[in-house]
Amino acid sequence: MTAAKPILLAEDNPRDAELALAAMEEEHISDKVVLCHDGAEVLDYLYCRGQFKSRLKGNPAVVFLDLKMPKVNGLEVLRTIKSDSSLQPIPVVMLTSSREEKDLAESYALGANAYVVKPVEFHQFLTAVKELGTFWGVINEPPPEGSASTN
Amino acid sequence: MDTVTSDRPPVPPIAGAPPPETDATPSLSTRPQPAKRSVLTWFRELTIERRILAGFSLVFIGILIIGAVSYRNTTILIENSRLDTRSHDLLQLLNNVDTAMDEAENNHRRYLVTGEVVYLQSFRSLAEQKPTYLKYLKDLTAGSPVQEARVDQLQKLIEQQINAETGAIAKRDGGGFEAVRRIALEGVAKRELAAIHRIIAEMESDEHQSLRRRLGESTLSTTNTIVLLALGALLQLVLLASVYYLIRHDITARKKVATELQLRGELLEAANKELEAFSYSVSHDLRAPLRHIDGYASLLNKAVGETLNDKAKRYLQTISDSAKQMGQLIDDLLVFSRMGRQEMLHTTVNLDQLIKTILYDLRLDLQGREISWTIDTLPEVPGDPVMLRQVFVNLISNAIKFTSTRPVAKIAIGVERKSAGEITVFVRDNGVGFDMQYLDKLFGVFQRLHRADEFEGTGIGLANVRRIVHRHGGRVWAEGIPDQGATFFVTLPTRRPRT
Repeated sequence: MTAAKPILLAEDNPRDAELALAAMEEEHISDKVVLCHDGAEVLDYLYCRGQFKSRLKGNPAVVFLDLKMPKVNGLEVLRTIKSDSSLQPIPVVMLTSSREEKDLAESYALGANAYVVKPVEFHQFLTAVKELGTFWGVINEPPPEGSASTN
Repeated sequence: MDTVTSDRPPVPPIAGAPPPETDATPSLSTRPQPAKRSVLTWFRELTIERRILAGFSLVFIGILIIGAVSYRNTTILIENSRLDTRSHDLLQLLNNVDTAMDEAENNHRRYLVTGEVVYLQSFRSLAEQKPTYLKYLKDLTAGSPVQEARVDQLQKLIEQQINAETGAIAKRDGGGFEAVRRIALEGVAKRELAAIHRIIAEMESDEHQSLRRRLGESTLSTTNTIVLLALGALLQLVLLASVYYLIRHDITARKKVATELQLRGELLEAANKELEAFSYSVSHDLRAPLRHIDGYASLLNKAVGETLNDKAKRYLQTISDSAKQMGQLIDDLLVFSRMGRQEMLHTTVNLDQLIKTILYDLRLDLQGREISWTIDTLPEVPGDPVMLRQVFVNLISNAIKFTSTRPVAKIAIGVERKSAGEITVFVRDNGVGFDMQYLDKLFGVFQRLHRADEFEGTGIGLANVRRIVHRHGGRVWAEGIPDQGATFFVTLPTRRPRT
């Protein structure tokens, strides 16, 4: 069981965050969610610095990344994660409003594990977030700690 | 032969012919002014290429004229020079003949007196040379009847003189000095010699006159040539300068247009980039609040739904529906905007296969419907398969949608007409149709001819159809009768458009 591993949700919009959390609530996984309000916070969390200095060590089960965020945007965070050998195994799911081909192509080129467009319809949004949370946070077995390639 | 009757043949401006007069009524008030103006108008209406051609033609014709006139003048000069030489020869010859005749007479008289044979030499030499002199005289006067007549006369007189002298010499030899005493003092051919002197003088005078006349002629011709050359050169210079001005003017204009075009291209590219950024922003930012509206409405419904009355529940539902509808509109608009910018794929599309797969994909929408399909064999066309698919998905979906009120729907797809270079495909249905007066609204963005509660849809489908067909270099139009059906026509080029 991966119950201990948190789900990192990067979402600058508090309403989107609230709605996502409401969806997770229904699946009873909302307590596993760590919310970051911008890209810089995500990196702080991953590198255990700033407000996350004293957090429990270990990578999250999954990172849900919004594309458009203040300070450091989603693609920059993605690039940092996938180019750092200790963070590279973390599954990263792009969760965004953009359906633009350019964003899709760039995300996959940087090594995103999935790309999900937030549906406008709440019911669909609910379903999507619930399924994502359950799949990546519960069903999917994350890489073991320290599995990072050292070469 | 591909004669185009409306194309007026180019009239060389040198002819100065005014364009065919349309006004046939003979008018007394016709002044030269309108004719001149019409030539000018005619010139102004020419294309730049024709103007330049006309200019160069004029230069060419000018060179021809100058060349011809110069050639003629030079020929005259050469001919005159030849005639002058002949005149000088003739004058020399006449002088010789004159002297020879004089000497023959004088020395013959001396012989008659002295009987010294040495004095006979001049006479003998004259008799010997006579045929040569006459031959030359005839040669040099050939072609001039007056002089020829004089030569004949001269010949007769010379012969008479020689005969008389021969007779006198014979008498002297037979009867001694006494026999010719009287003749020797007077001279035997005094009359003839005088006549000969007179005729020779006349001939000389004539030749001198001819020489003077030809000198005048040559001088005039030379002057003419010089003036013509000078004027011609000046005219050519002016013409060439005009042609140069025309060409330079044209090049300047073209350069200006090219610069303008480049500038516009750059502006267009910038505008396109801006539009892309705009639609990206629309795609991303406009969706979020809609998601929130729908989301919070749902959460509210979940939280207090049980306690709400039906009216309040309906309000909440309407909020959700409206948010969803706007989401759909935004998505449609983005697809429409992308359709205009997206790179087009240039391959061959098998329309037959395309229609088959579309009908297969739409099979779920057809459940519970009775539709009679008539589908002709369709050809292959050049184009983008994904885009053309969208065209026919829209047209067929519309046909299915707008026949939903019919117990038996009839939908026909076929080739309306096939001509060189293009093909027209139609989709016909027996649905609700439309009023032809709204034809221009049919293909507009978000234009709908039916109420939202009658038929669903955002009104973007036909706008997309038109945009795609235009990008393929084709046309699209429709015919409809209210409550009887509609036919949509798509004309596509069968040859790949040049890029």
